[in-house]
Amino acid sequence: MISIDDIRAKAKDLLDSGAVKAVIGYGRGTAGYMARPVFLSRPEEAEELTWDPSCVHNLALYLTEGGKCQSSKNLAENGPVAIFAKGCDSRGLVVLLQENYLRRQDIHVIGLSCEDGGVLDEYKLATALDGRTALHVTFADHGDFRVTTRDGEVRVKAQEVLADRCLECRTAHPVIHDTLFGEAQPRAFKDPFHALTAFEAEAKANGTLWAFWEKTMERCIRCYACRSVCPMCYCDECVVDSIQMAVAPDTTPEEKANRIKWIERSNTNADTFGYHLVRAMHLAGRCVDCGECERVCPVNIPLRLLNTKLEKEALDMFDYRVGFDADKPSLVSSFNDRDPNDFIR
Amino acid sequence: MVPDNSEAFQPKIVAFLCKWCSSAGSDLAGVSRMQYASNAVPITVNCSGGVSPLYIISAFSKGADGVLVSGCHPGDCHYMEGNYQARRKIYLLQKLVTFMGVEPERFQMSWVSAAEGAKYAKVMDEFTEQIRRLGPQTKLKARR
Repeated sequence: MISIDDIRAKAKDLLDSGAVKAVIGYGRGTAGYMARPVFLSRPEEAEELTWDPSCVHNLALYLTEGGKCQSSKNLAENGPVAIFAKGCDSRGLVVLLQENYLRRQDIHVIGLSCEDGGVLDEYKLATALDGRTALHVTFADHGDFRVTTRDGEVRVKAQEVLADRCLECRTAHPVIHDTLFGEAQPRAFKDPFHALTAFEAEAKANGTLWAFWEKTMERCIRCYACRSVCPMCYCDECVVDSIQMAVAPDTTPEEKANRIKWIERSNTNADTFGYHLVRAMHLAGRCVDCGECERVCPVNIPLRLLNTKLEKEALDMFDYRVGFDADKPSLVSSFNDRDPNDFIR
Repeated sequence: MVPDNSEAFQPKIVAFLCKWCSSAGSDLAGVSRMQYASNAVPITVNCSGGVSPLYIISAFSKGADGVLVSGCHPGDCHYMEGNYQARRKIYLLQKLVTFMGVEPERFQMSWVSAAEGAKYAKVMDEFTEQIRRLGPQTKLKARR
């Protein structure tokens, strides 16, 4: 089990020695038991750091956020940054490295192995606690969680409250790291792609694929939370919002009307489908299944199904595993003679 | 095949044709005076690898009943590897669209070289006939 004191000491040491200019990590939230991302620049702040099953965030996001085209330049100028990375997050960093978005020397990866556990799902925890309010969640042995509630301490089975992605995860150990906490441990909860396979088999048997997605997408309010939280969505201008099309005082209505809008802003179903198809396609061979999009979705759209569908296709047909090798060409920029050809006339 | 019945449903088809092969292939079909379904709106692109999934989604949203992407045979790409990249991208998009419940037949890919005017005519006829049997595409079409 990982000791939080070791992590704090390491972060303090890194900041003290000037090896890194900042640490991006997890800290205690200000309300409830969920951790929050914290950004430290002074050694004494290292005490704020925490590591528990509520550290769900993929912190790679904060390397790409805020003036996205600027951030790699910022990193180069403002010195290395240490970043906490779980197994999935570390693969996210590998993808960013693969795309030359980051330079390896600009980040110090503090790898945190999820060992035989993972992070929790808030809804599942609420169900498991049956009305009691969780104040604090920590790791216990055997991958179980110890939950402090208002009415005392409870121990819950990890399997009951782990996020879906963690149940299917086989790479809970960081792929890249400069400092490593925890050990690689065998995990066996559910088969990889368990949720996808189950959903697909049922929907195909009943012929309800379209009915399901039509009903699901109707809920989408196009808030783009899934886009905002994704470390891979770092385009300067997203196809769904035309921010760089300046409207000058002399722009005529005809000009505005004739501008190409690939996907309209209205949340009619066709445009919502367009957005989600494009989002999923842009993540093909890049999504590391950190599950953040699904977690932040306010209307519970099962976005992981779309992401894992393409992840599975990439693995089955192109033998491409996401986020393991930063020197490999990306999925859609490479090809193989054995790629499927029989679907083409 | 020219539809014998003018009352039959005439599908709207968007065909993205590679400038170096399929577009010339369609030209050849034309100058050879071949008769084939005229339902396709051909859009010449520089390379099938440049056909963004967005073009295809956009075509469906603007009311296309079927979309065809046609490029050079494997190994024949003017840009060396554009058609291989197209093959991967389009395979993935086809799987994704199918996963969302849209008929996979609506969205196809073909290899047609500049010398294959007859194949172009055949592909167009068969594709149009398939789409005609499926009927109008309403799932991804914007209702405006």
